[in-house]
Amino acid sequence: MIPLETIYTFIFLLVDGFLWGLIIALIALGLSFIFGMMRIVNMAHGDIYMVGAVLSLYVLGWFGSFWLALLIVPLVIGLICIPTERFVLRPFEGRPAVTMIATVGIAFIIQQTVLATYGGIPKKMPDPWPMVINFLGVGYPGYRILIACISVVVLAGLWLFLFRTSYGILIRATIQDREMASAIGINDNRIRMTTFALGGVFAALGGVLAAPICQVFYLMGNDVILLCFIVVIVGGLGSLKGTLLASLVICTLEAAMTIVLKPIEARVAIFAVMILVLIFRPRGLFGR
Amino acid sequence: MELRDSSPKGGVIGGGIQGISKRIGSKLSLFIFFVVVIVLILIGPVLPPGLMSLVLEMMILSIFAMGYDILLGYTEQCSLGHSLFFGVGAYGIVLSVLHLNAGFWVALLIAVALSFTFAFLEGLISVRLSEAYFVIITALFFSIFYLLALSMTWLTGGDDGLSVEIPPVSLGFASFSIYNSLVNFYLVLFFLIATYIILARIVSSPLGRVFISIRENQERARFLGYNVFRYKLAAFILSAVFAGLSGALYAIRLRYGNADFFSFMWSVNPIVWSLLGGMGTLIGPCIGVVIMSLFQYYVSAWWSQYLVIVGVLIIVVLRVSPKGIVGYIKSKREEALSGEG
Repeated sequence: MIPLETIYTFIFLLVDGFLWGLIIALIALGLSFIFGMMRIVNMAHGDIYMVGAVLSLYVLGWFGSFWLALLIVPLVIGLICIPTERFVLRPFEGRPAVTMIATVGIAFIIQQTVLATYGGIPKKMPDPWPMVINFLGVGYPGYRILIACISVVVLAGLWLFLFRTSYGILIRATIQDREMASAIGINDNRIRMTTFALGGVFAALGGVLAAPICQVFYLMGNDVILLCFIVVIVGGLGSLKGTLLASLVICTLEAAMTIVLKPIEARVAIFAVMILVLIFRPRGLFGR
Repeated sequence: MELRDSSPKGGVIGGGIQGISKRIGSKLSLFIFFVVVIVLILIGPVLPPGLMSLVLEMMILSIFAMGYDILLGYTEQCSLGHSLFFGVGAYGIVLSVLHLNAGFWVALLIAVALSFTFAFLEGLISVRLSEAYFVIITALFFSIFYLLALSMTWLTGGDDGLSVEIPPVSLGFASFSIYNSLVNFYLVLFFLIATYIILARIVSSPLGRVFISIRENQERARFLGYNVFRYKLAAFILSAVFAGLSGALYAIRLRYGNADFFSFMWSVNPIVWSLLGGMGTLIGPCIGVVIMSLFQYYVSAWWSQYLVIVGVLIIVVLRVSPKGIVGYIKSKREEALSGEG
């Protein structure tokens, strides 16, 4: 008979992995979304996530409200993303390799600027909603449940936006065939800018949500971007459905594996799973 | 439809020995190369220690840069994970000397063979993928091995690393201690010359032509019956082997290896060198190495966030002159020539 404690720990880890998967889904969706539109991988995505977390710490310091940060920070970062796309990335349009190298440059600038202003010491954010919820006999921190709810709402919002609004139709049309969309009078440059900004908003939102449960420091994006890369490869770059599904499955799987393995071994095992998927499905499970 | 001419049109600077009579550009770069080599041979004994160590580093990294440019500049595959091979080369030396008690040449051979094996296995998976996937996969590979190197301290020493006593270099008739900096200098110089000659030969050989045709138009190369996958794999392995050699020499110079050999910096650096100096040439990346090393040496001393400048530099170079310094000079020269004609 397995002791009850073990089962509780197991449930706790699984739920935790699933919730983390929802945050990763937000970030990876941004990555996948940008790829769908621009055919590039935004190498600065992890650093945008990091900036989201760092800025939320600042906003918390200035105004004393985490919920304000949740609103303001993604908005600000989205607004910064627009000129970035227009003036830094636009000139390299049509050359994916070059554009990706340029985003590496952006990543360096972001990371080092944060290091210079915020410092290299990890900080911890106080829990914005200190409450414990009992769930299947396991006491679970309320904030994490809240994260899950917010993520689900945002994901549903994205889905509604893409599939139920006219602007969403324009975006999907541009992803499907950019030239044709442009030919029938869609302003594809503006759509491209919106997409990039939206990707940034999602990464930043992930950063703000993750700030209270992670160490906030200038390299925190590296770990997340690694997981996001694995997720988008398994799910298929550019496929929103695949990305969402893959992030939930992979994060839960990794959490389940940490019961018997060390975290680093679990990560390597996930990596091995990804390689297997890649060998049999070079474009991921749902990739086009 | 007009057929696009995909022949390199002087796109190759390092034309090598074969192409001396064929291309002015290659003659010039060969000349520059020989002048540099002779100067290096002559000044070796009189270099002060500080400068000696800087020049040594530049030469070692030039090997890395030239090899990497075969991948980025000649077949346009942007790998973001060559620190893996750099680190594997370094640990190949360190571990084979520590645990196998290997001699100098055997250890070096093991290091290069190891990076060959890693590149072969990684290449099999990654080379056939599209651009974006390729970047992600190479980045993932090095990240995973970086994490492994950090955590498997029993093997790699993790962050603290492993110090090692490098065995003397035996040349049959005599053996020299690598601890004599002059021996180290000439050893690295030998490998630098060998790398240049090998790569220049490859670039001007039919193999190099296929590489360029893949860069110019992959579909057409496939259409002409070339097995594009195999050639891309060859370029990948070639660049990785030289990255491994460079890593091994770097570890020999420091007599030390740690997990940092796998770090992101060593993945981005070759891209910066190639971009800055000029992609698709052999001399260009070396110029990039010299500039970046000087920059790092002098700027990092007074400003620790100098990487911001690197980031800005990447974007500015891409904007102003995508072919780097060499490409800029070349276009100026062509302008001048066409102006005369």
